[in-house]
Amino acid sequence: MITRIRRSATDGWVNTPDGRTHYIFGFGDISGVPENELVNYRARAELMAPPLLLKAGNEYIVTLTSLGTPTRPDLDDPHTIHYHGFPNQIAFYDGVPEASVAVPVGRDLEYYYKPLDPGTYMYHCHHEPVEHIQMGMVGPLVVYPHDYDSSDPAYKTAYGYGTGTEYHREYYVFLNELDCSIHNLVATVQEPDWTEYRPTYWLINGRAYPDTIDTPGGSRLQSQPWPALIKANAGERVLLRFVNLGFQQHAMELLGAVLKVVGIDGMRPLGQNGEDLSYNKNIIYIAPGQSYDAIFTAPEAPDMYPLTLPFYNRNLIKNNSGGVEPGGMVTEVQIYAPGSLPHQTEPNQA
Amino acid sequence: MPTIDLWAVDGYISTPDGKSIYIWGFTDKAGGSAQLPGPTIIIKRQDPPARTMVTVNLTNSLPEPVSILFPGQSEVRVNGNPVQPQYQNGSLISLTNHCLPGETITYTFYAENSGTFLYESGTNPHKQVPMGLYGAIIVRPQDYMPDHTGYKTAYGTGTGTEFDREYLLVVGEIDPDLHQAVELGKPYDTRVYKPRYWTMNGRCANDTMLPDNVDHLPNQPHGAMIMLEPGEKVLIRYAGAGVENHPLHPHGNHTRLVGMDGRLLQNRTLSNTTDLSYKRFTVLTGAGQTYDQIYTWTGLGFEPVTNQIPTVIPNLRNMAIGHTGMTMWSGSPYLGVKGELPSGMVSYNEVGEYHFMLHSHAEPEITNWGAFPGGLMTMIAVYPNGTLERHHGMLPVESHGL
Ligand SMILES: [Cu+2]
Ligand SMILES: [Cu+2]
Repeated sequence: MITRIRRSATDGWVNTPDGRTHYIFGFGDISGVPENELVNYRARAELMAPPLLLKAGNEYIVTLTSLGTPTRPDLDDPHTIHYHGFPNQIAFYDGVPEASVAVPVGRDLEYYYKPLDPGTYMYHCHHEPVEHIQMGMVGPLVVYPHDYDSSDPAYKTAYGYGTGTEYHREYYVFLNELDCSIHNLVATVQEPDWTEYRPTYWLINGRAYPDTIDTPGGSRLQSQPWPALIKANAGERVLLRFVNLGFQQHAMELLGAVLKVVGIDGMRPLGQNGEDLSYNKNIIYIAPGQSYDAIFTAPEAPDMYPLTLPFYNRNLIKNNSGGVEPGGMVTEVQIYAPGSLPHQTEPNQA
Repeated sequence: MPTIDLWAVDGYISTPDGKSIYIWGFTDKAGGSAQLPGPTIIIKRQDPPARTMVTVNLTNSLPEPVSILFPGQSEVRVNGNPVQPQYQNGSLISLTNHCLPGETITYTFYAENSGTFLYESGTNPHKQVPMGLYGAIIVRPQDYMPDHTGYKTAYGTGTGTEFDREYLLVVGEIDPDLHQAVELGKPYDTRVYKPRYWTMNGRCANDTMLPDNVDHLPNQPHGAMIMLEPGEKVLIRYAGAGVENHPLHPHGNHTRLVGMDGRLLQNRTLSNTTDLSYKRFTVLTGAGQTYDQIYTWTGLGFEPVTNQIPTVIPNLRNMAIGHTGMTMWSGSPYLGVKGELPSGMVSYNEVGEYHFMLHSHAEPEITNWGAFPGGLMTMIAVYPNGTLERHHGMLPVESHGL
């Protein structure tokens, strides 16, 4: 059985806590939307892009439909999906326009994936990637192990039964930056000089603090549906899926709990003879195009619930939203008394 | 014992957007022009107990003192004495013994470790290294025998580092303001360092994809295309010769990192071996750092008869093909099959090979002064079995003889 998923490529606007809006290109989820209703999904790009959640061993067809960019009707750029990190990809499904095909406005392309390797990956458009990545065509891609079962603690794992990667809750830590002057140039049909790239906002899951912890969000954040607030019951194991699709290296620090690195770039850190090379960290350094899986155990704190653990970028100048501190890549982990929060069945579910 | 004669000289390189940039660099040809990067030095270690002493004679044809550092090599000496930083009136003027304009200096070192290394200027390095005074050293294990199964390795037989082909990618950056200031003899403030070009083997994309020794790039003799057949093990050696870090991402597959800074990623005791190699899809190549990694591609085996592509192949008239009028694509999703491409489209595809991009994911670095495509980008080409000539990815056992 083949599972069908559909993504739109279009444009839209995102919001930062200083009240400014920024023009983006991006993806939207149009799975199951009838053809005659697709027009309603124009200009509704989301940042971060809707996650692609796959299971190892299953087959998927992801259809990319380019709905055009209403704010830039002059723009005839095609788009693609590049499944970043897919082992043994073939060129046709790799989404590189110079080495296969790309999707013009008004057209579709079907990408077939049969992922075999569980882990945290990412997807993005690869047409003029410097522009289309910065403009927002970026999202996480998760491959669950073939034996994944959210209802069985031994099988709710990042890398499969018996791999020591059991978890109770999982959250995205999806990192990128936004240079507002470049977004403004693109909105007004001008060519940026990319060597002058200079971010003004640093985002987790598409939002800058304090929007990162604004769970309801509301209409101001309708194109940014993913808060970055991490919640867990004391004693639970929490899996953080770090992805960096910005252009800078980042340094995410968690205070009050230790992060055990159990996955790097979608692979368990294992030597050639199966040596366990996992390690513990307070800060995850992550370069553009890398992913990390790290698990921490939510500490107990009787009489103190909910306990808050700060989680922020130790490159402290990135704790900034357009000149206002604290902002940018800052969020929180909130820990509740055992049994307070219900079972989590999907990533980021609070 | 290998002896290498190098000259520190000036010269020009070209960028794909038509600029000519003044450089300082090394050449191993008397009267030659600066080459970017400097000539690759390949050494094969002797069987112990013999030690492999390497001699490098540096003649300075530049207007200021120049030197060479050999990071990671053992017992680096000048005139039989350990090299030392140089001071003038109590202040540091060079990280190692240097030679004055018009003079020659002789360095020796022992190549005790297999792997990939850099050599680079230690005098005014903030200026001279970015100007181009750098190159790579490959040290081969003493049991290296390219024609014997199991003995064509990066670190010696039994280390899990066998390979079929090997490619060296030396990465760097260029701030044209620095190069112009040096050419005009004007001061340059390092604090304003701002690269506008990024180089792989001295070339910016798309020149990275051209073959070695093309006529119009006389001082940038090395291409950066990686070519293999399915299942082959390819040793990719990254050497970070710039002053910044670059996250290099190959499409098509992960690489397994087997060596770092010329050291095997393995801990060995008499009774125990712990393998520390690991797989990555993006490797942050740090300033001055080297990485040795094994890349293979085995594909999913789609072929037109018994295992067809499971999606509808679109009408190509409805698709966007290529970029700026050219493509590396064959016109077919199948390996080894060539399809019809829109007329007017220039395809560089030869025999239906797959092309996978290898590039920096700090994406402003894949531009030439801000314009995509450019910079730190090349292609990994997977050729159908039996179609890739043997000479691709074959570096000599040694570069400069005994
Ligand atoms: Cu990517
Ligand atoms: Cu890419």
